[in-house]
Amino acid sequence: MIFRAVEDADLIRHAARGAVEAYNLLVSRWEKRVYNYLLRLTSNREDALDLAQDVFLKAYQNLRKLEDPGRFGPWLYRIAHNEAYSMFRRRRPETDVDELEPEGVGGGITVGGSSVFPIELSLAVSAALTRLSPEQREAVVLKVYQGFKFDEMAEILSCPVSTVKSRLYTALELLKVELAPIGTRGVS
Amino acid sequence: MSCSPFDLKDYFLKELPDAGRQPVEDHLRTCPACREELDRLRLTEAALFALRDEEVPQRIGFVSDEVFEPAPWRRWWGAFWGSAARLGFASAAMLSIAILVHAFVRPAPLAPLVSSPVATAASISPVEVQNLIQAAVSRSVKESEARQEEKTQKLVADSLYREEQERIMRVRAEDLNRYLERSDGARKVAAYRTTAETRLLP
Repeated sequence: MIFRAVEDADLIRHAARGAVEAYNLLVSRWEKRVYNYLLRLTSNREDALDLAQDVFLKAYQNLRKLEDPGRFGPWLYRIAHNEAYSMFRRRRPETDVDELEPEGVGGGITVGGSSVFPIELSLAVSAALTRLSPEQREAVVLKVYQGFKFDEMAEILSCPVSTVKSRLYTALELLKVELAPIGTRGVS
Repeated sequence: MSCSPFDLKDYFLKELPDAGRQPVEDHLRTCPACREELDRLRLTEAALFALRDEEVPQRIGFVSDEVFEPAPWRRWWGAFWGSAARLGFASAAMLSIAILVHAFVRPAPLAPLVSSPVATAASISPVEVQNLIQAAVSRSVKESEARQEEKTQKLVADSLYREEQERIMRVRAEDLNRYLERSDGARKVAAYRTTAETRLLP
């Protein structure tokens, strides 16, 4: 993990000096994570792919503005967060940002491929996530699925750490209730 | 330490420093309620991991992809003239050819030396290539934003059109209702209302 961070930082320095191949390698490393983050925010594969493409282009354009290459991850996710919310706003300009909901809410994300978990559990998790508020869902995605620290999440979401913790803890309480019986069934 | 669930959640989410983890672990050994709470959090996390990451359905376009890059011949041309050694070799070759041609075509009088036509074609420096890529990326972002904008406007226009149609339907239904109430009495009104309500249902 440490080696990976160092390599990323080197690639970022090279890319900032115009080494396109270094940037391509960065894209290969981060594309799956960014795509899945956007997929869980938008619940729509096409939107997630379009947004991911835009995120990497904008990141390339602004790479020289990144002061600390060690913060590339949060910086990239901040761009992804902004892109996703810009899309939500464009689609529903009259809606307040706090009330924004991704498309396809209620239907959830279908899960492809074989899994050690039963499909009903995947669907239940997907449905439980869509019942959270967008902010709570994003906090869960960033912490549980993307593994960011609280300070990194605060940077991505542009809010205080206390707000991040509050959103996450509330979401965990709700998910605990929603998924408790299913979790027991799926794991045991 | 207290039984505050916030401490336990910080512990569960690995946000406590090493020094802060030990007291929580000591507390867990003596507090069944906190142990149970931690088990519930772990079960919830296990359930959440049932939703696995998906593969990206299509490779994210690289900035060096054809769509963003100058044409191959321009890259070759730029690389060729970007090299001082190649430039020198080309100049020497051209000078040699010029001398040979001159020797065969006009052998008798000694003509004044003609300076070799040193190539002056503009080479493309790496900075220019970079600028070209930046310009192509900017263009692509603008196009993408324009596409999104167009999609949004279409959705809004469709929505407004549907609302307008519904409003017209309602007004017509109300007009007819009033007319029928005036002309045919309660029986016809009741019959029409049933039909209109059925029609207005989405």
